[in-house]
Amino acid sequence: MKKPISVASLLTAAAILAVAASISFIVSVRSVEAAGDPIVVIVNNSNPVDNLSLGELKKLFLSDRSRWDTGKAVAPVMPAPGAPERTAFLKIVCGMNDTDLGKYFMQAAFTGKSATPPKDVASASAVKSFVAASPGAIGFVKAGDFHGDGSDGGVKAVKIDGAAAADPGYKIKM
Amino acid sequence: MAVTRVEMKTASATSVLKAPRIVGLALCLTLGFVAHAQPATNAPASADDISRQLLQRIDQLEAKVKQLEDKQSAPAAAAVAVAAAPEPPPPVEMPTVNEVAPRLKMIVFGDVGGQGYTHIPDTFLFGSLDLFMRARLSDKVSVLGEVLFTAENDNSISPDVERLLLTYRQNDYFTASIGRMHSWIGYYNTAFNKGEFLETTTDRPFIFAFDDQGGVLPMQEVGLNMTGKIPSGKLGLNWVVEAGNGRAWGDPNTVEPAQNNQDANNSKSINGGLFIRPEKFSDLQMGFSVRHDNLTIPGPAVHETIATAHAVFINSRYEILNEAVYVRHDEPANGSVFNTSAFYTQISRAFGSVRPYFRYQFFNAPNDDPVYFYASQKDFVPPTATSFIGRLNGPSLGLRYEFTEHSALKLQYDRISLRGFDTVNGLTTQVAFTF
Repeated sequence: MKKPISVASLLTAAAILAVAASISFIVSVRSVEAAGDPIVVIVNNSNPVDNLSLGELKKLFLSDRSRWDTGKAVAPVMPAPGAPERTAFLKIVCGMNDTDLGKYFMQAAFTGKSATPPKDVASASAVKSFVAASPGAIGFVKAGDFHGDGSDGGVKAVKIDGAAAADPGYKIKM
Repeated sequence: MAVTRVEMKTASATSVLKAPRIVGLALCLTLGFVAHAQPATNAPASADDISRQLLQRIDQLEAKVKQLEDKQSAPAAAAVAVAAAPEPPPPVEMPTVNEVAPRLKMIVFGDVGGQGYTHIPDTFLFGSLDLFMRARLSDKVSVLGEVLFTAENDNSISPDVERLLLTYRQNDYFTASIGRMHSWIGYYNTAFNKGEFLETTTDRPFIFAFDDQGGVLPMQEVGLNMTGKIPSGKLGLNWVVEAGNGRAWGDPNTVEPAQNNQDANNSKSINGGLFIRPEKFSDLQMGFSVRHDNLTIPGPAVHETIATAHAVFINSRYEILNEAVYVRHDEPANGSVFNTSAFYTQISRAFGSVRPYFRYQFFNAPNDDPVYFYASQKDFVPPTATSFIGRLNGPSLGLRYEFTEHSALKLQYDRISLRGFDTVNGLTTQVAFTF
């Protein structure tokens, strides 16, 4: 019979781990970095939505909500992996990176949920075109790629938690 | 973008194909025009001069035709020309939410490893091979199938249709599924199915061990599942209702727990649950479920009630799972009641690709429980759940390392205390992957 490790030492190690994790969690939770260029969330012009909370935005992009109040199917779209605005958006809104996102949708599928990952497109102009062409679509682009003067074609910006991208309190920044 | 480029290439190729005809036509017209106009504009020129000029012109036009033909025979060059052209209008890509094709999606999970426990020989493990399939038949109907190959205690590898479900999703508020499923008892059983890659630990908590591997809860069900959201604003309230055949009880070596083809009685198991996922704390889920079934077992009839409660917090960094289960077996004929209780708590935090974790679990069933009658402590081989009844508790400490995006190495130490038996220590390694 091998000599067992003492229960006390195991529980002590576990307690240290739990306390360290809790402290780290308390410090880090909801500490959203928002210091760079804004990321503008856009929807189709026909979508009556003008404002979304950060929580609602997460639900829309993680397929936790499949329909708008208008009944249109939610169709999230984002720039392809590697785009800096995608990396920042996933981190701030979903608390994930691309690997986490892939695992999330794999697990969602495995548990039988009707979850569809966001559509990946190649460029900001493709995001805008997709949103312009699909009444239920929602996407995001860098502020520099959104003019807001009618030249973006069929899309409009929505506020996040009541703040527009140009406002100081705007939360989704690169 | 691809669509547009293809269209542009097609258009470009068509133009090139038409070019010789156009050039030929232009050549004829030019010749005709020149032949017709020349006498008027260059009247003093000789006939030889005119012929020379015409031949020169023909040479020029032939060179242009050759140039266009070369372009046609070099699509790569044409593509470069297209790429160099001003950026075309952005393409319109239709959403995939209602897309039917590709119909079948498949994920394969597997795990292998080894383990050493104080009471059994050290061994390598096959683990399992899990074929998961899913297809969307329409925008509201989908199917899910899962075939599992696992190693049994007698070293054979047997196939098992783990799940087969046809699902109709009306909207976020109503989804119905029929078939063989994992019952909505607690959180773990539906959040983590058989794919070990998705689990942090090397095994399920003892209380949620699969019933076809000796677990005490009816983890698999053949019947109907309905679920959806309840309009509740930022509270994020959801409901679940299930009805099924319930579980068959008997010698685990000969009885299949899930009543796949024939229920032993007319009484159906009924399970209901509520859970919330608040918008403000979307990583948090809390809920409960209550399930009732009338069991057909040798001896007096038994009414079974299973109540569960869970509070979990999961995001890409933290995983905090807490669940409690209470099982009541009631024999109305003689007024006997047998209570089983269990809980586990599991905490982990990711540091990049490394995730240390800790779990403590507790399970306690009365030795004379009429339903767990067939369980026998002498056959119990930790960490498998097969044939155990009594008290079991202890910590597990482990490390999960994702050495690629789709594969993880796990190392887990278990210390299991058993009522009436020596404490067991064990070390398990597992490589779990998906492809």
